[in-house]
Amino acid sequence: MRFSKLMSVLVVAGLMLSTVAAGTLKGNVNYQGKTPKKKTLKMNADPVCGSSHKGKVFNESFIVDEKNNLANVMVWLKDVKYTGTVTETPAVIDQKGCLYTPHVQGIMKGQELLIKNSDATLHNIHSMAKTNKQFNFAMPKVVKEKKVSFAETEDPFYIKCDVHPWMKAWVGVFDHPYFAVTDANGNFSIEGIPAGTYDVIAWQEKFKMKKHLTASVTIGEGETVNNFTFIRESKKK
Amino acid sequence: MIELLGNLSEHLGLPVNASSHGHMLDQMNGWVHWLMIILFVGWGIFFILTLVKFGFLNKEKVDCEGVKSHAGTYGEYAVILFEAFLLVGFAVPLWSLVKTDLPDVTDETVEIRVVAQQFAWNIHYPGIDGKFGRTYATLVDEEVNPIGLDRSSPHGADDIVTLNQMHLPVNKQTIIYLSSKDVIHSFSLPEMRVKQDAIPGMSTPIFFTPIMTTDEFLLEIKGSAREGKGFEIACAQLCGNSHYRMRGFLTIDTEEEYNAWLDEEAELLEEEGDDDDW
Amino acid sequence: MSSQDHHEESFISKYIFSQDHKWIGIQYGITSLVFLLFGFTLMMVMRWQLAYPDTVIPFVGWMFEDGMLSPDMYNSFGAMHGTIMIFLGVVPMVVGAFGNYLVPLQIGAPDMAFPKLNMASYWTYLAGGVIMVYSFFVPGGAANSGWTSYPPLADIATTGQTIWLFGMVFLITSSLLGSMNIIVTIVQLRAEGLTWGRLPFFVWAQFVTSFLLVLAFPPLEAAGVLQLMDRLAGTSFFLPSGLVVGGEILNVSGGGSPLLWQHLFWFLAHPEVYVLILPAMGVVAEIIANNTRKPLWGYKSIVFASVWLGFMSFIVWAHHMFITGMGQGMSLFFQTTTMIISIPSVIILSALFITLWGGKIRFNTPMLFALAFLPMFGIGGLTGLPLGLAPTDIHLHDTYYVIGHFHYVVAPGTIFAIFAGIYFWFPKITGKKLNEGLGKIHFFFSLIFINGVFMPMFIQGLAGVSRRLADGGVSYAHAAGVLEWNEFMSMSAWLLGVAQIPFIINFFMTIFKKVDGVADPNPWQSTTIEWTDTTSPPLGHGNFEIAPVVHRGPYEYSVEGASEDFIPQTKK
Repeated sequence: MRFSKLMSVLVVAGLMLSTVAAGTLKGNVNYQGKTPKKKTLKMNADPVCGSSHKGKVFNESFIVDEKNNLANVMVWLKDVKYTGTVTETPAVIDQKGCLYTPHVQGIMKGQELLIKNSDATLHNIHSMAKTNKQFNFAMPKVVKEKKVSFAETEDPFYIKCDVHPWMKAWVGVFDHPYFAVTDANGNFSIEGIPAGTYDVIAWQEKFKMKKHLTASVTIGEGETVNNFTFIRESKKK
Repeated sequence: MIELLGNLSEHLGLPVNASSHGHMLDQMNGWVHWLMIILFVGWGIFFILTLVKFGFLNKEKVDCEGVKSHAGTYGEYAVILFEAFLLVGFAVPLWSLVKTDLPDVTDETVEIRVVAQQFAWNIHYPGIDGKFGRTYATLVDEEVNPIGLDRSSPHGADDIVTLNQMHLPVNKQTIIYLSSKDVIHSFSLPEMRVKQDAIPGMSTPIFFTPIMTTDEFLLEIKGSAREGKGFEIACAQLCGNSHYRMRGFLTIDTEEEYNAWLDEEAELLEEEGDDDDW
Repeated sequence: MSSQDHHEESFISKYIFSQDHKWIGIQYGITSLVFLLFGFTLMMVMRWQLAYPDTVIPFVGWMFEDGMLSPDMYNSFGAMHGTIMIFLGVVPMVVGAFGNYLVPLQIGAPDMAFPKLNMASYWTYLAGGVIMVYSFFVPGGAANSGWTSYPPLADIATTGQTIWLFGMVFLITSSLLGSMNIIVTIVQLRAEGLTWGRLPFFVWAQFVTSFLLVLAFPPLEAAGVLQLMDRLAGTSFFLPSGLVVGGEILNVSGGGSPLLWQHLFWFLAHPEVYVLILPAMGVVAEIIANNTRKPLWGYKSIVFASVWLGFMSFIVWAHHMFITGMGQGMSLFFQTTTMIISIPSVIILSALFITLWGGKIRFNTPMLFALAFLPMFGIGGLTGLPLGLAPTDIHLHDTYYVIGHFHYVVAPGTIFAIFAGIYFWFPKITGKKLNEGLGKIHFFFSLIFINGVFMPMFIQGLAGVSRRLADGGVSYAHAAGVLEWNEFMSMSAWLLGVAQIPFIINFFMTIFKKVDGVADPNPWQSTTIEWTDTTSPPLGHGNFEIAPVVHRGPYEYSVEGASEDFIPQTKK
């Protein structure tokens, strides 16, 4: 009995120690350049999609608020040696109103992705992964849930619906849990990072991997802040 | 006479016809079904008579020679003649009329492109200048530019592209240039009696003249099972897992309605512009 | 020690790797019956999805994700239903089983010309079948691009398509081996005195069929290999440039033609229709002559018509492709040949109808199936007319009208003929007749329900409902008026399944029935050699005690002055 008590104390102490030695990376992603016009989605292609929205629905590939904070930017650490477990709760992607929620998300290698269909119409979910095995299956309106997972790490790739071609969602697959996506205000936060120096990558779908941003950040205890700014060069004409 | 016999088609359960050529195809279908009915009923009567006479009544003698009359042979000649008549009288002229004699393009002709893809129909209108902009596979972006239209090409700026929504004016010659981005689809407008495979790598012209607006059609089908639902674009060739849902919508407008719709689309294009240069 | 005569064969060489045409025929027959049942079962599951789309399937639902047939699975089942029914069911049955078992016996030959080739043909077929069934278990399921496998869809489809192509290569090879064998056997091994004019029509039908197989299958085998290269080796025989799939440019060199596949495929697949129907006509002709107790009416003209049919079947293929964008010249040519090919079909069918006139018709089970074949094939043939004429095909192409048309040809057509043949030759194979009462129950219910399955398809087709829709047309407004037929057709299909139970019972009951004494070798009082010159079942390998010598034609029934009402072919 004593021995096991001792063990649990040790384990708890170890856990605390690891928490103490870990830090949080926070930041904001900003955009500089001409704000592109919003584009209406052609929801009348399927009456079920059209009727699930009141007003116009806009393309989600570039969402920026009036202060130029950029949403839906994925931020992650590069080359992390992670030995912990895979997150057990599945990541969720929902097909709702003929849009994917969330539009951008990270997932761990081996973690389950729960695909939901909240619409009363057929969706077909087609992953365009380059490294991982692609999948492509139909989800009639009665099929509400499917599960998939990814076996390889991969930079963000998209999943699309062939029935509603405007539907697109981005997924990045990582072998560690240190990734985040910016919220509507352009803020992100990655917690529990072991102390050390890392390359941090910020990615936005319009800038693609070709124009991603990298920063070298040293994480210590507590919060570290690192902001990113995506710059779009004006057209040379 | 031709029309009278062809009227059998009205009892075949065909969809309402809404194109200028449709009634001719229907009449031919009526004729062919006459031939089928006559042959089947003829065989049937002979068959039943024979079974009764030689199956149930005749228990004794067998007549090895069997049928001696030449009625059968004459019947066969009649069938051959009838088929030749269908071929020469209907099939050949109708095929030219419906599929191969592409009408001249005039100011009055409506020209559009339809680009099929898994699992949607992209409808490409040439815009105010009446000319199509160029398209490139490299420019395809499923979200905003599904047909890869080059907006900076000479005629591309004003082109209108819609998804699954096709509008056409009534009583105007329409030419559709049909193609596909990925696999073979088949563009079918049941009420227009139009069906054509959309084959990647090919652009196939199809032409017809709608003679009934959607409003008239909706009146016509009142009380039927499909009440309230207008014309459809159907995919008639297996194209993948969601083939059965590859449905588009066709609206036949009056000329004013059509122009108003085009203006509305053009305005939207103006508003949202294209500055997608990343 | 080697002994030429009557050495004891081991179990394996007698029953498994047998070289005896009779046993190979039985192997073919049993295997293809199993595949026919399997293919039909796939359809019964699909019919649930069509009648009650997106609901849980009873009984077998546990096998499927969510208990339902997903659209992907529906496409797989559809493609495999077609493939299995045609290439693993009907063709091996009519050519492999009937051809193998009966041709040598009917021409008085001790065996096929090449017994080892014959054995190889069966085992290649079985391998093809196993590969096809295996494909259900690969990721993505079995082939799902239709039994026609049109590229580019088939080129970019899941792994199942690759397996399908491998399977097809085996099946085609098997058919080629088998048909070469039948041709050589008929040419070389006919009994003395059995001239071409004295051949039973069934043998003629097998002869023409084998030529069709030999000449039509190689193009498909080539096409299959090309498609395999497209899928595995990165070629693009059937892929044009500039394909964009799922929004991404397909990484292939391009420059190919999707239509090339269709030409190669239909160059096989149209003769294939006659491969399915000619042997059936042969079976029906034998049974009708026997059960009317009179000669076939117009023997020469139907032999001539079947050769003509075989020849013409090679130049009608593009009538499957009218709406791919065909010019006037092409469409005129193929419409004309299609109209011409209807003439020999009408001749054969008319001759069979006319044969009935003046006979003394016996209504036994094989005869009932053979009689039902006539109007059923008639419907199948006639509904081919509006499809064979290009302008009327515009509305009907790829609708349920097409499905109804070719199923009338193959299901109540060929499959009824297969049943007629099984009931007719069962006593030849086992020495015991199948039970007549069960046989008639099997017949009448099959006849009713099979029409219940296929007749409404014409109604749906005329309304314009497309085939291969995983929800049976629910998505489309133009289908709304005829949708209610889906449930009716499905009910009919399941009842048709139930109607096969008497046959299955009959089949096993008769096999295991104990009969005393020697079987009557000729229970139908037939004239042809297989009944008159051997016991039932025939002796072991070798068939005949004494090589038969033929003195007369195949249908000498009711000859005046004869002691019985028939004179065997081998009687002087």
